[in-house]
Amino acid sequence: MVKEASPLEIERNIGNFAYPETHTHDAGVGLTEKTIHYIADIKEDPDWVREFRLNAYKTFLSKPMPTHWASKDLEAIVFDNIRYYLSGGVQPKRNWEDVPDDVKRTFERLGIPEQERKFLAGVEAQFDSEAVYSNIKKAVGEQGVIFVGSREGLKDHPEIFRKWFGKVIPTGDNKFSALNSAVFSGGSFIYVPPGVKVKHPLQAYFRINAENFGQFERTLIICDEGSELTYMEGCTAPKFNTATLHSAVVELVALKGAKIQYITVQNWSSNVFNLVTKRGLAHEDAEVKWIDCNIGSRLTMKYPGVIMKGRGARGEVLSIALAGDGQHQDTGAKMVHAADGTTSNIISKSISIGEGRATYRGLVQIPKHLKNCKNNTECDALLINSTSRTDTYPAITVRGTGNSVQHEASVSQVSAEQIFYMQQRGLTKAQAMSLSVNGFVNDLVRQFPMEYSVELKRLIELEMEGSVG
Amino acid sequence: MTNQTAVLDETMEDIDSPPSPRAILSAPFEARSADLPQWFRDQQSAAWEKFGALPSPNRKDQPWRFSSVNALDLSPYNFGAPLSQTERDEVLEGSTGLDEVAGRLIFADDQLLRRDPLPQKLLAAGVILKPLERAIIEHEDLFRRHFMAQPATLGSAKFAALHEALVTSGTFVYVPKGVEVELPIEIFHWLHGENASVFPHTLLIADELAKVTVIEHFRSAHSDRAGFACGVNDLVVGRGAKLNYVCTQNWNEKALAIQINSTSVEREASALSLNVNLGGAYSRFESLSRLTGEGARSDMLAVCVADNAQEFDARTLQDHASPHTTSDLLYKNALNDRARNTFGGLIRVEPHAHFTDAYQTVRNLLLSDDAEANSMPGLEILADNVKCSHGATSGQLSENEMFYLLSRGISAPVAKQLLVSGFLNEVVDRLDHPAITGHIHELIEEKFARR
Amino acid sequence: MNQLSIQDLRVSIAEQEIIRGLSLAVPKGEVHAIMGPNGSGKSTLAKVLAGHPDYKVVSGTIEMDGENIMELEPDERSRKGLFLAFQYPSEIPGVTIANFLRAAVQARLPEGEELEATEYYAKLYEKMDLLEMDRSFTSRSVNEGFSGGEKKRNEILQLAMLQPKYAVLDETDSGLDIDALKVVANGVNAMRGPNIGILVITHYQRLLDYIVPDHVHVMVQGRIVRSGGKELALELEEKGYERYEAAEVGEPALA
Repeated sequence: MVKEASPLEIERNIGNFAYPETHTHDAGVGLTEKTIHYIADIKEDPDWVREFRLNAYKTFLSKPMPTHWASKDLEAIVFDNIRYYLSGGVQPKRNWEDVPDDVKRTFERLGIPEQERKFLAGVEAQFDSEAVYSNIKKAVGEQGVIFVGSREGLKDHPEIFRKWFGKVIPTGDNKFSALNSAVFSGGSFIYVPPGVKVKHPLQAYFRINAENFGQFERTLIICDEGSELTYMEGCTAPKFNTATLHSAVVELVALKGAKIQYITVQNWSSNVFNLVTKRGLAHEDAEVKWIDCNIGSRLTMKYPGVIMKGRGARGEVLSIALAGDGQHQDTGAKMVHAADGTTSNIISKSISIGEGRATYRGLVQIPKHLKNCKNNTECDALLINSTSRTDTYPAITVRGTGNSVQHEASVSQVSAEQIFYMQQRGLTKAQAMSLSVNGFVNDLVRQFPMEYSVELKRLIELEMEGSVG
Repeated sequence: MTNQTAVLDETMEDIDSPPSPRAILSAPFEARSADLPQWFRDQQSAAWEKFGALPSPNRKDQPWRFSSVNALDLSPYNFGAPLSQTERDEVLEGSTGLDEVAGRLIFADDQLLRRDPLPQKLLAAGVILKPLERAIIEHEDLFRRHFMAQPATLGSAKFAALHEALVTSGTFVYVPKGVEVELPIEIFHWLHGENASVFPHTLLIADELAKVTVIEHFRSAHSDRAGFACGVNDLVVGRGAKLNYVCTQNWNEKALAIQINSTSVEREASALSLNVNLGGAYSRFESLSRLTGEGARSDMLAVCVADNAQEFDARTLQDHASPHTTSDLLYKNALNDRARNTFGGLIRVEPHAHFTDAYQTVRNLLLSDDAEANSMPGLEILADNVKCSHGATSGQLSENEMFYLLSRGISAPVAKQLLVSGFLNEVVDRLDHPAITGHIHELIEEKFARR
Repeated sequence: MNQLSIQDLRVSIAEQEIIRGLSLAVPKGEVHAIMGPNGSGKSTLAKVLAGHPDYKVVSGTIEMDGENIMELEPDERSRKGLFLAFQYPSEIPGVTIANFLRAAVQARLPEGEELEATEYYAKLYEKMDLLEMDRSFTSRSVNEGFSGGEKKRNEILQLAMLQPKYAVLDETDSGLDIDALKVVANGVNAMRGPNIGILVITHYQRLLDYIVPDHVHVMVQGRIVRSGGKELALELEEKGYERYEAAEVGEPALA
């Protein structure tokens, strides 16, 4: 039915450009204690942070690569060839007018709609490792919301920052969280005071702009009792010849009754290793929801998690992965139930195209003596070509008589009859395919904010054009 | 095919002065297989080397995730002393299974105690049922082609090597082309001596269009003696043939048991396996079903009733190596007390195995607060036009159903037992063989009665 | 030249010849019916006209208004004005009828021209009213979970929206009760006119009570064995296909 062909590179080309690099600070390639000190010096880290970094560096060295269960492709990362810190030396800006023109052009090329640029008043956009643009929307500031870069966060709000930093994801959680803890720079720090409901989603754009340069942003979001926040993170990257590493750590804390929704559309170029640790801590009656779309990168390993620590807490992961030729989307979710009456929901949909591979890994834990805990997991995979691959590896542990879990997974494909039917109505094969694929993810995409769902549909269409002859 | 009528085998000659049993880890394996041909002893020697070289299981490895690997200390176990006549008689008396069988072999501590040969009609048709050590010599070609031909890929390569090094007895079954064996073939393996070990092996070949049912019973002669069982089965289902394989694992609750079954199902053939897991302190069952020809079908069924601190560890692979193949797995576990169950299953659809239908369902019934169920249902799909799904649930008895039964005057324990039986019967009754399913129901009832 | 014309068509699937030298012409402005017993190759003909990739055309030609369409992809044939109402329409999970039809209508517009949404919906609702379809229908996934009648109505709705030059209705009456049959027939009759040629394929006469054909053709074992006026349908209903089938076995090449 479908002829084999490599997907078009169109959507990659969106990010496939670079402007002259003018970095005033450059840690050079490779990672040693000296690199750590260099970063700590430039960032004027307090002693405890410098200490934290050095300890993390030791942990990073001591941890093996997780290749005994994960892709051997990880071995292609040469840590010695990576640049761990680069900075334009530009201080965070408050006004759009102050943003350098080439950066503005970047936004344009990324296709960020005019409408969204209006929101840039409340956007933290990160170029390379330093936030070059940062403006807290007036209204948000008036509500008492703190929305700054992680560096300002730890300098200006140490009492909140230090209390939660590294508490949701310990340094030694995995090799890459340790790496991030050693060299982190950039990322957001957000604090929402009790009862404050932030109306507009806060956004951040990330981009890698130098060859061999890894980006290690660190985001910490704390929603105090009864508050609500939606945070959106999208990224795209220029295309380079050598592997690029992106290894972020994102920690969310939802205090009693708070709600956090964290949305990611990941579209790194196909040379990027995207190895990200994301986890939320949900206190009593709080809710943490991850919406995660993985379109780009060479290898993504990302399993957003929620620890449901308080009674009645809820965790949710909705994820979509699109794996084209040469891509491996290794994604999933972790749900740790640690209190009575906690509920979690995982819905994962993946599409494998050409020689792409999509993997779901899940972890659900309901320890003993908890009551009325529930987990529901659904993973559906769609295969487009005969060379496509999908894997599902969940691990579910349940104890006790008061809890229930349910896991379902299915694999299907777009049938030849379905394509013929649509062709008979005048649609080309590629249009028919993209309509089917959009249909497959539709019920999930509907839960996304409008601009993201539109972008996602466009990306799927572009991928499909290359997948059919 | 001589000596078919011998009821007692030559291995049954009495030994006057029983030496103290040797530990399996220290014993030179050559001594154990002195009567076997040199080529096989060489093979065993190589396997022993391999056993020593392979690393011990580690929980960090996916195939052993959630497993209590520290239960796998083999140092206490020995080869078991020869049984006295009285002990043999006791074991034989306890070997009650099905009323009607085509043939029967009874082993205790790897010693063949009794052999009920096949009826003349089947012998005339060319059906073979004989001890493995004779097949090594008399059917060398078939034996070499199929004996442990599939590598143990589900984690227990080390134990498969141990088995290969130390196996000395077992059962060889061959059903020729077009022959249907109506009554089941029955095999008993008993653990008898204190810390005794057994290495049961069944090598079964159903040739083209043949039909056969085999039931294996694993039992302990004494409820208080520890023991170790390390079994391997090779089940080969030829083109268009049909195999039913049933295993009732009812070792005592001190036993350590590892069973590795490989089934290969050829074109248009079908295999159904039903594993009934009741015994053992730690019991691991690896089942691999490989569908090698178009139109092949495999049904993989298992039930488990776990009490006290019992741990059951099931690892499965539904390996689709050919297009238009079907597999359907249904495992159900009822877990009491502090019992643990781990299920790690994989559906693998190899490249070009298009038009595959593969299903996998695991249901855990948690009957106590300390019971634990771990489920890892996996899919690896490398073909398209496949229909694959898996589902895993863990939950409790329905309160409504319990209430309904109580309201009819049924006591709580009985009501619970009825519902658990109902839960398990859905699996057991998929085997269309009333005599065997009846026997399994009895075993499950007995286990309930022990509580 | 204003006709859908099939000349000496031979089609095989997996080495077996299903259509064995069939010729037929459906001019614009006319309704033709093909009747035949099960297995006569009627549905194969429908799929071959639409360009289904499973069937191999051994020889013959298919022309639309004088243009050979044999080498065209199914979607190209469709955009040139050929419509097939399927006997078994496919389900497309997650894709709503509104979005699906919109994509199909959009596909017929010249490059760069965007469909006017209000016009589109006005037209869609008009056609739905004609087919007595509830508005909520548009937000359901195409054919997913539809009853037999709903599926067929959906086919006719698409026919009405896409306004083809030639329409092939493959067993459109199957699975319909009498009320649904009338609604579907009304929909088709409303389409009739000088700008469309319709080929109705059925093995039942009753559909032809409601969609009255100008010509009736009898198809048996891959050929047209007899052609006539609408009265032929009644004759077939009465006497069955046996005599044609018997003739085919004994003596080929009647048409």
